[in-house]
Amino acid sequence: MFISLQLLHMSVFSQSFSPCGRFLAAGNNYGEIAVFSLSAALSPDASQASQKPILNFTAHDGPVFSLLSTDTHLLSAGNGEISAWSWAELIKKVRVSCSVNDNSLIVGGGDNNIHIMDMETGIFKSVLKGHTDYIHCLCFKEREEEILSGGEDGAVRIWDSRTNRPVHCIEVFKYEECARPQFGKWISCLATDSDWMLCGGGPSLSLWHLRSMSPTSVFPLPGCQREAVFYQDLIMSVGEGPHVSHCLHGGTVKAQIPCTPSSLNTLALNLKNTEHRVMTVGGSSHQIDVFTNFSYRAFSLSF
Amino acid sequence: MSIKFFRIVQCAFWRMGSITDDEVIRKRLLIDGDGAGDDRRINVLMKSFTKWCHSNFSPEEGFSQYQRMLTSLAQCEFSMGKTLLVYDMNLKEMENYEAIYADIERSITSAHEKIAECKKEIQRAKRIRKNRQEYDALARVIKQHPDRHETLKQLEALDRELQQLSHIKENVEDKLELRKKQFHVLLTTIQELQQTLENDEKMESDDTQESSMENGD
Repeated sequence: MFISLQLLHMSVFSQSFSPCGRFLAAGNNYGEIAVFSLSAALSPDASQASQKPILNFTAHDGPVFSLLSTDTHLLSAGNGEISAWSWAELIKKVRVSCSVNDNSLIVGGGDNNIHIMDMETGIFKSVLKGHTDYIHCLCFKEREEEILSGGEDGAVRIWDSRTNRPVHCIEVFKYEECARPQFGKWISCLATDSDWMLCGGGPSLSLWHLRSMSPTSVFPLPGCQREAVFYQDLIMSVGEGPHVSHCLHGGTVKAQIPCTPSSLNTLALNLKNTEHRVMTVGGSSHQIDVFTNFSYRAFSLSF
Repeated sequence: MSIKFFRIVQCAFWRMGSITDDEVIRKRLLIDGDGAGDDRRINVLMKSFTKWCHSNFSPEEGFSQYQRMLTSLAQCEFSMGKTLLVYDMNLKEMENYEAIYADIERSITSAHEKIAECKKEIQRAKRIRKNRQEYDALARVIKQHPDRHETLKQLEALDRELQQLSHIKENVEDKLELRKKQFHVLLTTIQELQQTLENDEKMESDDTQESSMENGD
């Protein structure tokens, strides 16, 4: 009884695929991380049991809001702490936390600042200050080595990662065509594709050209979008409403694919592995929908 | 005879309640069935030949027996020819099937290749579409801004106006200066004249004072 109530109130907040692309880790609002085996779920003889997690453990006290995979580790962030789990150990169904890598980790937090941490030593290298309210989302532009951050204060700030200085600040809610004052000014999703940037949240989801810092298309999606990604020639976004929206760069919504959760929080694309090339979405339900062909839902994994 | 045998065996098995070795029975009967016909015919031929050689038949019976043996021999030859033809036919069919199989294999591989090609085409087309869309989006934004030539023309017109106005201003200022100087000259002359007149008046009053003082003396 308690378990079914727990399942009813579960929300999936974050997902991440393993570096080999064969496993999916999902974090929910109870602080648990479940690891699912995609190869078992996608194989021709998949059964009900293969849609359950192969490993389910409590990672944090609070909800697991974000998950990120590096080449060897899974990083999970809860309320105030970041843990690193080794993927090799997770796959063997044992959990060990340690952090060794050779990149740096960019963390945006509730203290309105962005911290850059060196993964090898675990020491915070620098702090980027500028936001006036907490930060919801971060993304990284590889070509120009810039960090984009969006937060509750409605501003998207662009920082140069080498000098750690702010380069630009775009206040999305000040542009009439994007702003939706009835929802607020917070920015909850950011995605970048070299010269272009998607941002949405309170204001409508809009596509921006970064060289000219101007909004080129605004997508007429009714709810607030929580996550958006660029994929080939499409833009996929999830948010309020039980569907995944496929949009074109021109500003038209090409399709809306229905899903089981009533509102979606996270979308993840597994592009590292060509055999298990799937899209998974999770939201306010204990089920995670898996799409093998991105136009329709194939099946659901459940916690 | 063989069919009867088969039926008897079938009945026996049904009575026993197991037809599991149906295949085996059928095979054995097949081999026995047809082959037994030929085999039996050859055996019968041999037996009748030896009988015909050894026994003393009357000429008509012997002749009829001889005829019977010839027919039976012909039958044997016929059945042999038939089996040879069937064998040849089977070989040819096998070849045919091999050819069709190879053909199908080839078309499968070519279809695979075509599928790969088409997938690459799709990727290219998607990239092209994305580029077009981005181009369109930027073009829309650019269109919102006014045309560059127009703005340049407007700028030029404004420049010219500005120049004209500054010319006019210069002229007006020059005129003002001139008028100021003229007035200044006028005023100074007036003042000097006033001074001279006052001086003259004083001098005249001094003169009359002196002359009255002289008269008083």
